[in-house]
Amino acid sequence: MMKDSNGIMTKTSEHTMQINVGPQHPSTHGVLRMLVTLSGEQIIQIEPIIGYLHRGMEKMAETRTYLQYLPIVDRVDYLSGFFCSYAYISAIENLINTDIPIKAKYIRTLTMEMNRISSHLLWLGCYLLDLGATSPLFYTFIEREKILNIFEDLTGSRMMYNYYTFGGVKRDIEKELLIRIKKFSNEFLKAVQEYEDLITNNPIFITRTKNIGILSKEDATEYSITGANLRACGIQKDLRKDSPYLIYNNLEFSVPIGTISDSHSRYIMRIKEMKESNKIINQCTDWLLSNIEDNEINTKINPLTIKPNGTSLGEVESTRGLLQCYIEANGTEFPNRIKWRTPSFYATQAINTIAKGFMLPDLMAIFGSLDIIMPEVDR
Amino acid sequence: MIKSFIYPIKELIKGLLTVLKNGFKEKVTLEYPEKKKILNNNFRGKIKYDKTKCIKCKICQRVCPAKGTIEINETFKINYSQCIFCANCVEFCPKGALKITKEYELATNNKNELIFNEGIN
Ligand code: SF4
Ligand code: SF4
Repeated sequence: MMKDSNGIMTKTSEHTMQINVGPQHPSTHGVLRMLVTLSGEQIIQIEPIIGYLHRGMEKMAETRTYLQYLPIVDRVDYLSGFFCSYAYISAIENLINTDIPIKAKYIRTLTMEMNRISSHLLWLGCYLLDLGATSPLFYTFIEREKILNIFEDLTGSRMMYNYYTFGGVKRDIEKELLIRIKKFSNEFLKAVQEYEDLITNNPIFITRTKNIGILSKEDATEYSITGANLRACGIQKDLRKDSPYLIYNNLEFSVPIGTISDSHSRYIMRIKEMKESNKIINQCTDWLLSNIEDNEINTKINPLTIKPNGTSLGEVESTRGLLQCYIEANGTEFPNRIKWRTPSFYATQAINTIAKGFMLPDLMAIFGSLDIIMPEVDR
Repeated sequence: MIKSFIYPIKELIKGLLTVLKNGFKEKVTLEYPEKKKILNNNFRGKIKYDKTKCIKCKICQRVCPAKGTIEINETFKINYSQCIFCANCVEFCPKGALKITKEYELATNNKNELIFNEGIN
Protein backbone atom coordinates (compact mmCIF):
# COMPACT_ATOMS: atom_id res chain seq x y z
CA MET A 1 0.00 0.00 0.00
CA MET A 2 1.16 3.53 -0.75
CA LYS A 3 0.04 6.66 1.01
CA ASP A 4 0.19 10.13 -0.54
CA SER A 5 0.39 13.45 1.30
CA ASN A 6 -3.40 13.62 1.68
CA GLY A 7 -3.43 10.25 3.37
CA ILE A 8 -5.05 8.50 0.43
CA MET A 9 -3.96 4.89 0.14
CA THR A 10 -3.41 3.26 -3.22
CA LYS A 11 -2.47 -0.28 -3.93
CA THR A 12 0.95 -0.91 -5.37
CA SER A 13 3.07 -3.95 -6.00
CA GLU A 14 5.02 -5.58 -3.19
CA HIS A 15 8.36 -4.35 -4.43
CA THR A 16 7.82 -0.62 -4.11
CA MET A 17 9.06 1.49 -1.26
CA GLN A 18 8.22 5.01 -0.27
CA ILE A 19 10.77 7.45 1.10
CA ASN A 20 10.88 11.09 2.02
CA VAL A 21 13.50 13.32 0.41
CA GLY A 22 13.54 16.50 2.43
CA PRO A 23 12.25 18.79 3.88
CA GLN A 24 15.65 18.94 5.59
CA HIS A 25 17.78 17.88 2.67
CA PRO A 26 20.97 19.77 1.83
CA SER A 27 20.27 19.68 -1.89
CA THR A 28 16.74 21.01 -1.96
CA HIS A 29 17.96 24.64 -1.67
CA GLY A 30 15.43 25.52 0.93
CA VAL A 31 12.82 23.24 2.35
CA LEU A 32 11.03 21.02 -0.14
CA ARG A 33 9.64 17.63 0.73
CA MET A 34 9.49 15.04 -1.99
CA LEU A 35 7.56 11.87 -1.45
CA VAL A 36 9.35 9.42 -3.70
CA THR A 37 8.02 5.99 -4.60
CA LEU A 38 10.78 3.63 -5.57
CA SER A 39 11.01 0.24 -7.13
CA GLY A 40 14.49 -0.86 -6.28
CA GLU A 41 16.42 2.29 -7.13
CA GLN A 42 14.15 3.40 -9.90
CA ILE A 43 11.81 6.30 -9.33
CA ILE A 44 8.18 5.46 -10.01
CA GLN A 45 6.56 8.60 -8.75
CA ILE A 46 7.47 11.85 -7.05
CA GLU A 47 5.08 14.06 -5.23
CA PRO A 48 6.51 17.47 -4.37
CA ILE A 49 5.03 18.90 -1.18
CA ILE A 50 5.56 22.61 -0.78
CA GLY A 51 4.73 25.20 1.85
CA TYR A 52 7.54 24.80 4.39
CA LEU A 53 8.91 28.24 3.60
CA HIS A 54 5.61 30.05 3.39
CA ARG A 55 5.85 33.56 4.82
CA GLY A 56 2.57 34.99 3.65
CA MET A 57 4.05 37.54 1.25
CA GLU A 58 0.73 38.06 -0.53
CA LYS A 59 -1.39 38.42 2.57
CA MET A 60 1.19 40.70 4.16
CA ALA A 61 0.68 43.20 1.34
CA GLU A 62 -2.95 43.76 2.28
CA THR A 63 -2.09 45.29 5.64
CA ARG A 64 0.84 47.37 4.48
CA THR A 65 1.08 50.53 2.41
CA TYR A 66 2.79 50.42 -0.97
CA LEU A 67 5.87 51.96 0.56
CA GLN A 68 5.92 49.62 3.55
CA TYR A 69 5.70 46.60 1.26
CA LEU A 70 8.66 47.71 -0.85
CA PRO A 71 11.53 46.35 1.33
CA ILE A 72 9.66 43.06 1.79
CA VAL A 73 9.46 42.44 -1.95
CA ASP A 74 13.21 41.71 -2.16
CA ARG A 75 12.61 38.63 -0.05
CA VAL A 76 10.27 36.93 -2.52
CA ASP A 77 13.37 35.57 -4.20
CA TYR A 78 16.32 36.49 -2.06
CA LEU A 79 18.93 35.48 -4.61
CA SER A 80 17.64 37.89 -7.22
CA GLY A 81 15.92 40.64 -5.29
CA PHE A 82 16.23 43.28 -8.00
CA PHE A 83 13.89 41.36 -10.30
CA CYS A 84 11.16 41.13 -7.68
CA SER A 85 11.56 44.82 -6.88
CA TYR A 86 11.30 45.67 -10.54
CA ALA A 87 8.17 43.58 -11.14
CA TYR A 88 6.41 45.20 -8.19
CA ILE A 89 7.54 48.73 -8.92
CA SER A 90 6.81 48.59 -12.63
CA ALA A 91 3.26 47.46 -11.86
CA ILE A 92 2.78 50.51 -9.66
CA GLU A 93 4.47 52.81 -12.15
CA ASN A 94 1.95 51.61 -14.72
CA LEU A 95 -0.88 52.49 -12.37
CA ILE A 96 0.33 56.00 -11.64
CA ASN A 97 1.49 56.59 -15.24
CA THR A 98 5.08 57.51 -14.62
CA ASP A 99 7.90 57.22 -17.05
CA ILE A 100 11.27 56.90 -15.42
CA PRO A 101 14.37 58.87 -16.51
CA ILE A 102 16.70 57.22 -18.99
CA LYS A 103 19.60 57.03 -16.54
CA ALA A 104 17.44 55.16 -14.04
CA LYS A 105 16.54 52.74 -16.80
CA TYR A 106 20.18 52.04 -17.47
CA ILE A 107 20.97 51.62 -13.78
CA ARG A 108 18.06 49.22 -13.36
CA THR A 109 19.15 47.13 -16.34
CA LEU A 110 22.73 47.07 -15.13
CA THR A 111 21.83 45.97 -11.61
CA MET A 112 19.38 43.34 -12.82
CA GLU A 113 21.86 41.76 -15.19
CA MET A 114 24.53 41.69 -12.50
CA ASN A 115 21.98 40.09 -10.25
CA ARG A 116 21.32 37.48 -12.90
CA ILE A 117 25.01 36.60 -12.98
CA SER A 118 25.31 36.44 -9.20
CA SER A 119 22.30 34.16 -8.96
CA HIS A 120 23.52 31.88 -11.73
CA LEU A 121 26.94 31.67 -10.08
CA LEU A 122 25.39 30.53 -6.83
CA TRP A 123 23.33 28.00 -8.75
CA LEU A 124 26.41 26.72 -10.56
CA GLY A 125 28.42 26.26 -7.39
CA CYS A 126 25.60 24.59 -5.49
CA TYR A 127 24.64 22.36 -8.39
CA LEU A 128 28.15 21.00 -8.64
CA LEU A 129 28.13 20.57 -4.88
CA ASP A 130 24.97 18.48 -5.22
CA LEU A 131 26.81 16.32 -7.72
CA GLY A 132 29.72 15.89 -5.34
CA ALA A 133 32.28 18.41 -6.59
CA THR A 134 33.43 20.87 -3.95
CA SER A 135 35.99 23.14 -5.64
CA PRO A 136 33.69 24.85 -8.18
CA LEU A 137 31.68 26.30 -5.30
CA PHE A 138 34.70 28.24 -4.10
CA TYR A 139 35.61 29.45 -7.57
CA THR A 140 32.12 30.68 -8.37
CA PHE A 141 31.89 32.41 -5.02
CA ILE A 142 35.02 34.44 -5.78
CA GLU A 143 33.22 36.17 -8.65
CA ARG A 144 29.90 36.31 -6.83
CA GLU A 145 31.59 38.03 -3.91
CA LYS A 146 32.82 40.79 -6.23
CA ILE A 147 29.26 41.43 -7.42
CA LEU A 148 27.85 41.42 -3.90
CA ASN A 149 30.53 43.87 -2.78
CA ILE A 150 29.55 46.19 -5.60
CA PHE A 151 25.89 45.87 -4.58
CA GLU A 152 26.77 46.55 -0.99
CA ASP A 153 28.53 49.77 -1.89
CA LEU A 154 25.73 50.85 -4.19
CA THR A 155 22.65 49.92 -2.18
CA GLY A 156 23.82 49.41 1.38
CA SER A 157 23.01 45.75 1.62
CA ARG A 158 24.32 42.58 0.06
CA MET A 159 21.06 40.85 -0.75
CA MET A 160 18.08 42.85 0.51
CA TYR A 161 18.65 45.86 -1.67
CA ASN A 162 15.64 48.16 -1.26
CA TYR A 163 17.23 50.28 -3.96
CA TYR A 164 14.52 50.93 -6.53
CA THR A 165 11.90 53.49 -5.72
CA PHE A 166 8.70 54.56 -7.42
CA GLY A 167 9.88 56.51 -10.45
CA GLY A 168 13.54 55.59 -10.49
CA VAL A 169 16.32 54.52 -8.19
CA LYS A 170 17.30 55.85 -4.78
CA ARG A 171 20.95 56.69 -5.22
CA ASP A 172 23.15 57.68 -8.12
CA ILE A 173 25.92 55.35 -9.20
CA GLU A 174 29.38 56.81 -8.77
CA LYS A 175 32.15 56.84 -11.34
CA GLU A 176 34.51 54.85 -9.17
CA LEU A 177 31.92 52.09 -8.83
CA LEU A 178 31.33 52.04 -12.58
CA ILE A 179 35.04 51.56 -13.15
CA ARG A 180 34.97 48.65 -10.72
CA ILE A 181 32.03 47.11 -12.60
CA LYS A 182 33.87 47.57 -15.87
CA LYS A 183 36.91 45.83 -14.43
CA PHE A 184 34.74 42.99 -13.16
CA SER A 185 33.05 42.50 -16.51
CA ASN A 186 36.38 42.46 -18.34
CA GLU A 187 37.69 39.72 -16.08
CA PHE A 188 34.48 37.76 -15.91
CA LEU A 189 34.80 35.97 -19.24
CA LYS A 190 38.12 34.56 -18.10
CA ALA A 191 36.44 33.18 -15.00
CA VAL A 192 33.66 31.59 -17.06
CA GLN A 193 36.30 29.98 -19.25
CA GLU A 194 37.81 28.52 -16.10
CA TYR A 195 34.49 27.01 -15.02
CA GLU A 196 34.04 25.56 -18.46
CA ASP A 197 37.51 24.01 -18.41
CA LEU A 198 36.67 22.47 -15.10
CA ILE A 199 33.13 21.32 -15.70
CA THR A 200 31.68 21.26 -19.22
CA ASN A 201 33.62 18.32 -20.66
CA ASN A 202 34.41 16.59 -17.42
CA PRO A 203 33.62 12.91 -18.02
CA ILE A 204 32.04 12.43 -14.58
CA PHE A 205 29.84 15.47 -15.02
CA ILE A 206 28.79 14.35 -18.48
CA THR A 207 27.86 10.84 -17.36
CA ARG A 208 25.81 12.25 -14.53
CA THR A 209 23.93 14.86 -16.54
CA LYS A 210 23.78 13.97 -20.23
CA ASN A 211 20.42 12.46 -21.24
CA ILE A 212 19.33 12.62 -17.62
CA GLY A 213 16.08 14.38 -16.78
CA ILE A 214 14.76 15.12 -20.23
CA LEU A 215 12.00 17.68 -20.43
CA SER A 216 10.03 17.53 -23.67
CA LYS A 217 8.71 20.62 -25.44
CA GLU A 218 5.11 19.54 -24.86
CA ASP A 219 5.57 19.00 -21.15
CA ALA A 220 7.40 22.28 -20.79
CA THR A 221 4.58 24.26 -22.37
CA GLU A 222 1.95 22.28 -20.51
CA TYR A 223 3.54 23.03 -17.17
CA SER A 224 4.09 26.73 -18.11
CA ILE A 225 7.80 26.43 -17.54
CA THR A 226 9.73 29.55 -18.46
CA GLY A 227 13.28 30.80 -18.47
CA ALA A 228 16.39 28.81 -19.23
CA ASN A 229 14.59 25.51 -18.61
CA LEU A 230 12.20 26.26 -21.45
CA ARG A 231 14.82 27.69 -23.77
CA ALA A 232 16.90 24.54 -23.37
CA CYS A 233 14.04 22.66 -25.11
CA GLY A 234 14.45 24.86 -28.15
CA ILE A 235 11.59 27.27 -27.59
CA GLN A 236 12.68 30.85 -28.04
CA LYS A 237 10.82 32.75 -25.36
CA ASP A 238 12.40 35.61 -23.51
CA LEU A 239 10.53 38.67 -22.34
CA ARG A 240 13.58 40.82 -22.95
CA LYS A 241 13.24 40.09 -26.68
CA ASP A 242 9.49 39.43 -27.00
CA SER A 243 8.28 42.65 -25.40
CA PRO A 244 11.34 44.65 -24.42
CA TYR A 245 11.04 46.67 -21.23
CA LEU A 246 13.48 49.29 -19.93
CA ILE A 247 16.21 49.72 -22.55
CA TYR A 248 16.56 46.17 -23.84
CA ASN A 249 15.62 47.53 -27.28
CA ASN A 250 18.87 49.45 -27.53
CA LEU A 251 21.11 46.65 -26.36
CA GLU A 252 22.88 44.03 -28.37
CA PHE A 253 22.57 40.57 -26.96
CA SER A 254 21.28 37.20 -28.03
CA VAL A 255 19.13 34.65 -26.28
CA PRO A 256 20.74 31.21 -26.27
CA ILE A 257 18.50 28.26 -27.10
CA GLY A 258 19.20 24.55 -26.98
CA THR A 259 17.80 21.45 -28.65
CA ILE A 260 17.11 18.77 -26.04
CA SER A 261 16.44 19.89 -22.50
CA ASP A 262 18.47 17.48 -20.36
CA SER A 263 20.39 18.44 -17.24
CA HIS A 264 23.55 19.08 -19.23
CA SER A 265 21.93 21.42 -21.73
CA ARG A 266 20.24 23.36 -18.95
CA TYR A 267 23.70 23.88 -17.50
CA ILE A 268 25.01 25.04 -20.89
CA MET A 269 22.08 27.47 -21.20
CA ARG A 270 22.95 29.17 -17.93
CA ILE A 271 26.64 29.44 -18.77
CA LYS A 272 25.74 31.07 -22.09
CA GLU A 273 23.23 33.36 -20.38
CA MET A 274 25.93 34.62 -18.04
CA LYS A 275 28.09 35.53 -21.02
CA GLU A 276 25.22 37.42 -22.63
CA SER A 277 24.49 39.25 -19.38
CA ASN A 278 28.12 40.25 -19.28
CA LYS A 279 27.73 41.85 -22.71
CA ILE A 280 24.75 43.85 -21.43
CA ILE A 281 26.67 44.97 -18.37
CA ASN A 282 29.46 46.18 -20.60
CA GLN A 283 27.10 48.21 -22.77
CA CYS A 284 25.31 49.72 -19.78
CA THR A 285 28.52 50.76 -18.02
CA ASP A 286 29.78 52.36 -21.22
CA TRP A 287 26.61 54.40 -21.51
CA LEU A 288 26.65 55.37 -17.85
CA LEU A 289 30.31 56.37 -17.99
CA SER A 290 29.67 58.64 -20.94
CA ASN A 291 26.62 60.19 -19.25
CA ILE A 292 28.12 60.64 -15.82
CA GLU A 293 26.95 64.28 -15.52
CA ASP A 294 23.31 63.36 -15.95
CA ASN A 295 21.88 63.65 -12.45
CA GLU A 296 18.29 62.77 -13.06
CA ILE A 297 17.76 59.37 -11.49
CA ASN A 298 14.17 59.57 -10.28
CA THR A 299 10.99 61.48 -10.93
CA LYS A 300 10.67 62.67 -7.32
CA ILE A 301 7.29 61.12 -6.63
CA ASN A 302 6.49 61.16 -2.94
CA PRO A 303 5.94 57.49 -2.09
CA LEU A 304 3.99 58.48 1.03
CA THR A 305 1.18 59.91 -1.03
CA ILE A 306 0.63 57.37 -3.79
CA LYS A 307 -2.90 56.04 -3.91
CA PRO A 308 -3.27 54.18 -7.22
CA ASN A 309 -6.51 52.82 -8.60
CA GLY A 310 -7.15 49.94 -10.99
CA THR A 311 -5.33 46.75 -11.80
CA SER A 312 -1.90 46.26 -13.22
CA LEU A 313 0.59 43.56 -14.07
CA GLY A 314 4.33 44.01 -13.75
CA GLU A 315 6.48 41.44 -15.46
CA VAL A 316 10.16 40.77 -15.83
CA GLU A 317 12.38 38.02 -17.23
CA SER A 318 14.04 37.01 -14.00
CA THR A 319 16.89 34.61 -13.43
CA ARG A 320 14.57 31.64 -13.30
CA GLY A 321 12.00 32.72 -15.87
CA LEU A 322 8.95 34.89 -16.16
CA LEU A 323 8.19 36.69 -12.92
CA GLN A 324 4.91 38.55 -12.66
CA CYS A 325 3.33 40.71 -10.01
CA TYR A 326 -0.36 41.45 -10.25
CA ILE A 327 -1.73 44.34 -8.24
CA GLU A 328 -5.35 45.18 -7.61
CA ALA A 329 -5.52 48.68 -6.18
CA ASN A 330 -8.55 50.41 -4.76
CA GLY A 331 -7.62 54.06 -4.48
CA THR A 332 -6.40 53.88 -0.89
CA GLU A 333 -2.84 53.50 0.33
CA PHE A 334 -3.32 49.77 0.86
CA PRO A 335 -3.59 47.34 -2.08
CA ASN A 336 -6.61 45.08 -2.33
CA ARG A 337 -4.61 42.11 -3.47
CA ILE A 338 -1.10 41.34 -4.68
CA LYS A 339 -0.41 38.11 -6.51
CA TRP A 340 3.01 36.77 -7.45
CA ARG A 341 3.60 34.45 -10.37
CA THR A 342 6.97 32.88 -9.73
CA PRO A 343 8.76 30.62 -12.24
CA SER A 344 10.16 28.11 -9.73
CA PHE A 345 6.68 27.14 -8.64
CA TYR A 346 5.92 25.78 -12.09
CA ALA A 347 9.26 24.01 -12.41
CA THR A 348 8.64 22.24 -9.09
CA GLN A 349 5.37 20.81 -10.32
CA ALA A 350 7.07 19.30 -13.36
CA ILE A 351 9.58 17.31 -11.31
CA ASN A 352 7.44 14.15 -11.44
CA THR A 353 7.25 14.19 -15.23
CA ILE A 354 10.94 14.88 -15.63
CA ALA A 355 12.47 12.52 -13.08
CA LYS A 356 10.14 9.54 -13.43
CA GLY A 357 12.00 6.45 -14.60
CA PHE A 358 15.44 7.62 -13.53
CA MET A 359 17.47 6.40 -10.56
CA LEU A 360 17.24 7.88 -7.08
CA PRO A 361 20.83 9.22 -7.17
CA ASP A 362 19.87 11.09 -10.35
CA LEU A 363 17.08 12.90 -8.59
CA MET A 364 19.31 15.64 -7.20
CA ALA A 365 21.13 15.97 -10.52
CA ILE A 366 17.76 16.64 -12.14
CA PHE A 367 16.26 18.75 -9.41
CA GLY A 368 19.35 20.93 -9.12
CA SER A 369 19.51 21.54 -12.84
CA LEU A 370 16.05 23.15 -12.82
CA ASP A 371 17.38 26.00 -10.64
CA ILE A 372 14.48 25.93 -8.22
CA ILE A 373 14.59 28.16 -5.19
CA MET A 374 12.12 27.55 -2.42
CA PRO A 375 11.31 31.05 -1.08
CA GLU A 376 10.05 31.84 -4.54
CA VAL A 377 7.86 28.75 -4.66
CA ASP A 378 6.24 29.30 -1.28
CA ARG A 379 6.62 33.11 -0.97
CA MET B 1 38.51 2.57 -28.54
CA ILE B 2 41.75 4.25 -27.50
CA LYS B 3 40.21 7.66 -28.21
CA SER B 4 37.39 6.99 -25.79
CA PHE B 5 39.99 6.45 -23.07
CA ILE B 6 42.24 9.35 -23.92
CA TYR B 7 39.53 11.97 -24.15
CA PRO B 8 38.27 11.70 -20.56
CA ILE B 9 41.80 11.60 -19.21
CA LYS B 10 42.69 14.73 -21.17
CA GLU B 11 39.65 16.53 -19.78
CA LEU B 12 40.38 15.41 -16.23
CA ILE B 13 43.93 16.70 -16.49
CA LYS B 14 42.64 20.01 -17.84
CA GLY B 15 40.35 20.26 -14.82
CA LEU B 16 43.14 19.42 -12.40
CA LEU B 17 45.38 22.06 -13.95
CA THR B 18 42.65 24.64 -13.45
CA VAL B 19 42.44 23.68 -9.80
CA LEU B 20 46.21 23.92 -9.46
CA LYS B 21 46.27 27.33 -11.11
CA ASN B 22 43.77 28.57 -8.55
CA GLY B 23 46.12 27.60 -5.76
CA PHE B 24 48.45 30.41 -6.82
CA LYS B 25 45.84 33.13 -7.01
CA GLU B 26 45.76 35.90 -4.45
CA LYS B 27 43.82 35.37 -1.26
CA VAL B 28 40.15 36.33 -1.35
CA THR B 29 39.00 35.59 2.19
CA LEU B 30 39.30 37.62 5.37
CA GLU B 31 40.07 36.26 8.87
CA TYR B 32 36.87 37.72 10.14
CA PRO B 33 36.89 38.50 13.85
CA GLU B 34 40.50 39.74 13.69
CA LYS B 35 40.23 41.61 10.43
CA LYS B 36 37.09 43.42 9.42
CA LYS B 37 35.79 44.57 6.13
CA ILE B 38 35.91 48.25 5.29
CA LEU B 39 32.35 49.34 4.83
CA ASN B 40 30.97 51.98 2.57
CA ASN B 41 29.03 54.93 4.02
CA ASN B 42 25.85 53.59 2.43
CA PHE B 43 25.98 50.44 4.54
CA ARG B 44 22.73 49.88 6.39
CA GLY B 45 23.44 48.80 9.94
CA LYS B 46 21.91 49.64 13.31
CA ILE B 47 19.67 52.70 13.42
CA LYS B 48 20.75 55.54 15.71
CA TYR B 49 18.24 57.91 17.27
CA ASP B 50 18.85 61.53 18.19
CA LYS B 51 16.26 62.75 20.66
CA THR B 52 17.15 66.41 20.33
CA LYS B 53 15.96 66.49 16.72
CA CYS B 54 12.83 64.35 16.98
CA ILE B 55 9.47 66.11 16.77
CA LYS B 56 7.36 63.01 17.48
CA CYS B 57 5.66 63.05 14.09
CA LYS B 58 5.53 59.24 13.91
CA ILE B 59 6.34 59.07 10.20
CA CYS B 60 9.07 56.54 10.93
CA GLN B 61 6.49 54.31 12.54
CA ARG B 62 4.21 54.66 9.53
CA VAL B 63 6.79 53.65 6.92
CA CYS B 64 8.34 50.76 8.83
CA PRO B 65 7.57 47.42 7.15
CA ALA B 66 8.27 45.36 10.27
CA LYS B 67 5.24 46.49 12.22
CA GLY B 68 5.82 47.11 15.89
CA THR B 69 9.54 47.69 15.55
CA ILE B 70 9.23 51.37 16.35
CA GLU B 71 6.84 52.42 19.08
CA ILE B 72 6.41 56.06 19.99
CA ASN B 73 4.45 56.98 23.08
CA GLU B 74 6.12 58.80 25.95
CA THR B 75 9.34 57.20 24.85
CA PHE B 76 10.91 56.28 21.55
CA LYS B 77 11.31 52.51 21.45
CA ILE B 78 13.01 50.57 18.71
CA ASN B 79 13.43 46.81 18.77
CA TYR B 80 16.50 45.74 16.81
CA SER B 81 15.58 42.08 16.95
CA GLN B 82 12.61 42.83 14.70
CA CYS B 83 14.19 45.51 12.52
CA ILE B 84 15.05 44.38 8.99
CA PHE B 85 17.50 47.27 8.42
CA CYS B 86 15.74 48.60 5.36
CA ALA B 87 16.36 52.24 6.37
CA ASN B 88 12.91 53.38 5.30
CA CYS B 89 12.58 55.23 8.61
CA VAL B 90 15.88 57.04 8.07
CA GLU B 91 14.92 58.05 4.56
CA PHE B 92 11.54 59.53 5.50
CA CYS B 93 12.31 61.14 8.86
CA PRO B 94 11.67 64.85 8.15
CA LYS B 95 14.11 66.11 10.79
CA GLY B 96 17.00 63.73 10.29
CA ALA B 97 16.62 62.37 13.80
CA LEU B 98 17.42 58.85 12.66
CA LYS B 99 20.78 57.84 11.19
CA ILE B 100 22.18 54.60 9.89
CA THR B 101 25.44 53.38 11.39
CA LYS B 102 27.90 50.76 10.23
CA GLU B 103 27.32 48.62 13.29
CA TYR B 104 26.24 45.11 12.34
CA GLU B 105 27.48 42.78 15.07
CA LEU B 106 24.32 42.72 17.12
CA ALA B 107 24.24 39.12 18.35
CA THR B 108 23.66 38.87 22.07
CA ASN B 109 22.54 36.43 24.75
CA ASN B 110 20.00 38.79 26.19
CA LYS B 111 17.07 39.81 24.03
CA ASN B 112 16.40 42.91 26.09
CA GLU B 113 19.74 44.37 25.09
CA LEU B 114 18.32 44.74 21.60
CA ILE B 115 15.53 47.03 22.70
CA PHE B 116 16.43 50.68 22.67
CA ASN B 117 14.19 52.88 24.73
CA GLU B 118 14.68 56.59 25.30
CA GLY B 119 12.51 59.45 26.42
CA ILE B 120 11.60 62.15 23.92
CA ASN B 121 12.22 65.81 24.70
S1 SF4 C 1 12.38 59.97 14.52
FE1 SF4 C 1 11.93 61.33 12.81
S2 SF4 C 1 10.15 60.40 11.80
FE2 SF4 C 1 10.32 59.43 13.81
S3 SF4 C 1 8.96 60.66 15.13
FE3 SF4 C 1 11.01 61.53 15.33
S4 SF4 C 1 11.08 63.16 13.79
FE4 SF4 C 1 9.32 61.89 13.27
S1 SF4 D 1 15.22 50.13 9.35
FE1 SF4 D 1 13.29 49.47 8.43
S2 SF4 D 1 12.58 47.83 9.77
FE2 SF4 D 1 14.17 48.91 10.91
S3 SF4 D 1 13.04 50.40 12.12
FE3 SF4 D 1 13.63 51.44 10.22
S4 SF4 D 1 11.89 51.18 8.84
FE4 SF4 D 1 11.64 49.69 10.52
